[in-house]
Amino acid sequence: MKRRLSPTLLVALAAVGCGGPKEGTALRSGGEAGAVAKGPAKGTLEVAAFQGGYGIDFYEKAANDYEEANPGVKIDVAGNPRIWEQLRPRLNGGTPPDLMFPGWGMDHWALAEEDQLEPLDAALDGPPDNGAGKDGTGKWRDTFEPALLKLGQLNGKQYVLPYYFNVMGWWYDPGVFKKHGWTPPATYDDLLALGPKIKAAGMAPLTYQGQYPYYMIEGMLMPWAFSVGGQKAVDDAQSLVPGAWKSPAMLKAASMIVELKTKGFFQDGATGLSHTQAQQAFLDGKAAMIPCGTWLYSEMKKTMPAGANLEFALPPVVKGGAGDASAILIGIEPWMVPSAAKNKTGAIALFRYMTSLPVAKRFVEEKGTLTAIKGSDEGKLLPVLAKPSAAFKASKAVWADQFRNWYPGLEKEVENALTAMLNGELTPEAFCDRVEAAAEKTRKDDAITKHKV
Amino acid sequence: MSRPLRRGKTGFVVSFLAPAVLLYAVFVVYPLLQALAISLYRWKGVSARKRFVGLENFDKLIHDEAALQTLGNAAWLLVFSLVAVFVGGLAAAHALNHKGRVARTVRGLILFPQVVSIVAVAVLWEFMLHPDPQMGLVNGALALLGVKAHAWLGETATALPSVGVAFVWHALGFYILLFLAGIKGIDGETMEAAELDGSMGLHRLRTITWPLLWSVKRIATTYLVINVMNVFALVILMTNGGNPDRHTEMPLTYLYEQAFENSQFGYATSLAVVDFALAMLLSLIVMAIYRKNPVEGRR
Repeated sequence: MKRRLSPTLLVALAAVGCGGPKEGTALRSGGEAGAVAKGPAKGTLEVAAFQGGYGIDFYEKAANDYEEANPGVKIDVAGNPRIWEQLRPRLNGGTPPDLMFPGWGMDHWALAEEDQLEPLDAALDGPPDNGAGKDGTGKWRDTFEPALLKLGQLNGKQYVLPYYFNVMGWWYDPGVFKKHGWTPPATYDDLLALGPKIKAAGMAPLTYQGQYPYYMIEGMLMPWAFSVGGQKAVDDAQSLVPGAWKSPAMLKAASMIVELKTKGFFQDGATGLSHTQAQQAFLDGKAAMIPCGTWLYSEMKKTMPAGANLEFALPPVVKGGAGDASAILIGIEPWMVPSAAKNKTGAIALFRYMTSLPVAKRFVEEKGTLTAIKGSDEGKLLPVLAKPSAAFKASKAVWADQFRNWYPGLEKEVENALTAMLNGELTPEAFCDRVEAAAEKTRKDDAITKHKV
Repeated sequence: MSRPLRRGKTGFVVSFLAPAVLLYAVFVVYPLLQALAISLYRWKGVSARKRFVGLENFDKLIHDEAALQTLGNAAWLLVFSLVAVFVGGLAAAHALNHKGRVARTVRGLILFPQVVSIVAVAVLWEFMLHPDPQMGLVNGALALLGVKAHAWLGETATALPSVGVAFVWHALGFYILLFLAGIKGIDGETMEAAELDGSMGLHRLRTITWPLLWSVKRIATTYLVINVMNVFALVILMTNGGNPDRHTEMPLTYLYEQAFENSQFGYATSLAVVDFALAMLLSLIVMAIYRKNPVEGRR
């Protein structure tokens, strides 16, 4: 009896198991340009936010203020440091929150590709919030920095909206530089000239977050490829144009990294350092400079030695290169409205309030990071943000490392090849060949959706 | 025994087994079958949209050098920990098999690393192995001996052995206790007889203790196979899940990368299916090797 029962049971269960996956289930409900939002939010609203270094208290406070300005609205804000893990099953099950900031662990382009996100173009053409929870004048779209808004688009549609953003660059301690009479290197030649002086003072000119090679990708490799070959060099690489990852610009950028390694500019053993270990080594004076984003201060302020200071500089450029010297690499922190959300107009209304100038200004002041809202940095600014903010405003070429989000597998291969190159296992040519091969693999893999800068 | 009674007994047994079987079916068998089904689909894991692709994921898998590398790394870690656990664990168990106060105290302390959370173990070793001799204990100690500092977790040759040391440090206490229990379980008469025949020290370890520990060895090996296949947090924390250049990448960290970073849940599930099959196969091989009680054969 038992023997006959079990295979039947297995087959039955297998049938249930196979019945699970559905093919081509579309969850799209809004129109082509997405939900339109005018006037205040109504009903109940659920917000899920990534609880990173900046917490979620600001969003909770904003929600409270919005509730007070618009009686009858009930907003629930929840967040935790791994919110994306909770959001995934909810998105799969078609019961997502209304507004979400899923954080770095969520592949939001996969969400957009699977029609899980509401296009926000119609909403952007509507009015902004006046900062008091009511409709303002003009277009919401025009309140954003255009270069940052563009980063939330796919196939001409706006799927995610930037809130705060980070600027990538090099950091140094102005006190240390002043004491030794050093100037932050504006060009690569300056760096080559400065390095021996720093070494003579008993410091490494540079350190890096070896266990997290993307800092070096965003702080050296890509900015230098940009500087040598111009915007086209990095755009082509990110858009997987054949040969772009082994272009002369990319090869030169890789060679520069190897040159610095050969000249002993990097802190010994930096390939083995985690991000916080490397950053601490820099703060402790083991190295004079480190590539990092504008979150560096908030991440490290608790362990900053007394008297230490941070100052930002753009990565040194290559003299005579095709790239604009003011180019700046930034990264946005995107918010989005799931297409299966129950209260999409409410979600949009709340986010319009959060992005209104007075609220965004408060965010900049309280959290010490820049936001994508024009003029939001005109209030009280954290001293370490003064230079990044000025560099952003002065930049004629604002761009982002987008392939990291589009093609995480390719990015991982760039990271691994970079580590191998730093460990002396790859020449710059071999590095480029290996990365180009990975780009070719990505190009050919039709399971991976393709993007264009 | 009369027939009605026997039938009553069957009903009795079935009624007691049913809840366990049902739970097992719902929470183990069903998810396994579902995993098998998902491995035949392209699925990004962010919506209900899936596309049936047959064996595409498995075809991709056998051509995936990184996936094969993770198996190589796991095999290396398994051999490394097997040697460390069998040599170190057995020697320590032998040494601790005394009634003295020192042995008793050490027996109490030996399990300490096992109680520490794997997260703490990873962070601890990350700092022990810090490349800067002023920060890392290992490089600091080596500096006293005049040995050059190494970026243990960043260099190709040392990264996986470093992870291996942390892994064994964490696990060893458990295996020492296991061997100790095994040694204590050996018949006192056998030991006495061996002693009377003049078998002492290494000779006795080789001819008496080692063969008589067959069941403990089987448990230890099976556990190690499972533990190595399950290495995840240690590598995620110590080497950001595989640095340098995938030299510490483990099957589970690679699976995680494919599913949660690359949004290829179908492919990740095919990796899970293969990992599961390999773990089963390895366990079966272990069972086959240690199948027989060698002592029984001699009697």
